[in-house]
Amino acid sequence: MPATDIAVVGYAQTRSVRRARESEVQLLVPTVATALERAGLDRREVGFTCAGSCDYLTGGPFAFVSNLEAAGAWPPISESHVEMDGAWALYEAWVRLQHGDIDTALVFGSGKSSPSDPAEVWAQQLDPYYLAPLGVDPVSLAGLQARALIDAGKATERDFAEVVARSRRAAKDNANAQVSGDVDVDPLLQEPYVRAPLRRADLPPISDGAVAVVLARGDRARALSKRPAWIRGLDHRIEVHQPGMRDLTVSSSTTLAARKAGYDGGPLDVVELSATFSPQELILRDALGLGADAVVNPSGGPLAANPVMATGLVRIVEVAQRISEGGARRGLAHATGGQVLQHNLVCLMEGD
Amino acid sequence: MTTSEQAAPKENLVMEHLVSLHYSEELTPILERYVDALIDGRIVGHKCPQCSRVYVPGKGYCPICVVPTSEKDEVEVSDHGTVTGFTIITPVAYYGQEETEPFVYASVLLDGASGNLGGQDVVGIPRDQVHSGLRVRAIWKPKDQRTGEGVSNRGWGSVASVIDAFEPTGEPDMERSKYEEHIF
Repeated sequence: MPATDIAVVGYAQTRSVRRARESEVQLLVPTVATALERAGLDRREVGFTCAGSCDYLTGGPFAFVSNLEAAGAWPPISESHVEMDGAWALYEAWVRLQHGDIDTALVFGSGKSSPSDPAEVWAQQLDPYYLAPLGVDPVSLAGLQARALIDAGKATERDFAEVVARSRRAAKDNANAQVSGDVDVDPLLQEPYVRAPLRRADLPPISDGAVAVVLARGDRARALSKRPAWIRGLDHRIEVHQPGMRDLTVSSSTTLAARKAGYDGGPLDVVELSATFSPQELILRDALGLGADAVVNPSGGPLAANPVMATGLVRIVEVAQRISEGGARRGLAHATGGQVLQHNLVCLMEGD
Repeated sequence: MTTSEQAAPKENLVMEHLVSLHYSEELTPILERYVDALIDGRIVGHKCPQCSRVYVPGKGYCPICVVPTSEKDEVEVSDHGTVTGFTIITPVAYYGQEETEPFVYASVLLDGASGNLGGQDVVGIPRDQVHSGLRVRAIWKPKDQRTGEGVSNRGWGSVASVIDAFEPTGEPDMERSKYEEHIF
């Protein structure tokens, strides 16, 4: 039985921008510093550090090593890295905290999508025999998923546009968002397709950004934060790699991760989903059994800001922040990895 | 199963999958200033306001103290320095290798800098006489041939587009204690 007295006690994120002039480490330095400062923790007190980033995105082997400079790695620290979204770095830190010998951890995720062509880079995460040589890009795969959803009679293009309109409207209150504003569904539906049935607005923006989180356990968490956001459950599940071998209109791994994380279907004050493409919000709502009244992506979600490799950890921060600031008592954050919701993580959080 | 019944070994199936990814970005403002200075014949870095270490090029922060640095922390270092460590490389023909003759790959600790400038050629001295402690100076390309090519935002890069190589200054060797922590 995993410990449930581990909490988010500090966090910070950069504004998402289309193109940051600073290096990825420069984005991280103030972000990590702010997260530690909010937690009231000196970096030398951190028990374990874990980061998530992608060398393919940065464009160099071992690029992740320099990101560690933002945490201060001298004298030597205990640290790890995942070539995954920062949400999985948080997962590793959470597991590490279960050992019980340390009581704080620093987690961060970062990515600059601006220097590369995401279609080129992300085709490389696919299997090297059948899919990668085809150069299948995420937008095309998301298009297939959206088409499957329509063909199954589960959604319409109007449903997608409604997700977009609501996300952009919500993002107006999010200073870190890149895309926001009031848009009506009908004009959105007049826009041309990028990959039918997806339009540009159904796609996330290309973003540069970074996020950092401080975790603490037990009494240390209570000492560091007036209102810790307790991680009541955290789980991730993965599905078969080949998109053709699963039903793209459902997300069984999200359902399973939510159940294993202890989500019982009870009320949630806030839900943040890594729905990178608008149809995915519908799939994830369904997978989690969320009602129409659920407050989903009040930050605007990935359709408003998508700093890949940080996007999932940002979801956790958005929920934790609402709990710490008193606006919510119970919330759920979701992160995704791989293509078309292949790998999903669910983090259930509560205030005292 | 007898030996004669065993299937003939199958030929391995080999498929070629060459990947080419394209990246394009502006240099960070710090590196832009660094390149402008190089083209001007000067080598600049950032001096940490806390520990006084000098990073060339500047990173915008000190990775030891984790404090931000900026233009106001910019300092110029010398184009004279000391060879701390070196390798004599005998090139083998592999994809992308343009060298054919043995060459020196030396780390040079510039006077005023806190870290080595890696991968520098040392000329004007027989290869087998290159040694740690050797005092060297930069041989700059003519100003109109200097470019920022090779300088990258990713924490590595080279000055090969402005400095052709280093050559001995003729000074006595640097005292070992002054550079030994930079040998690796």
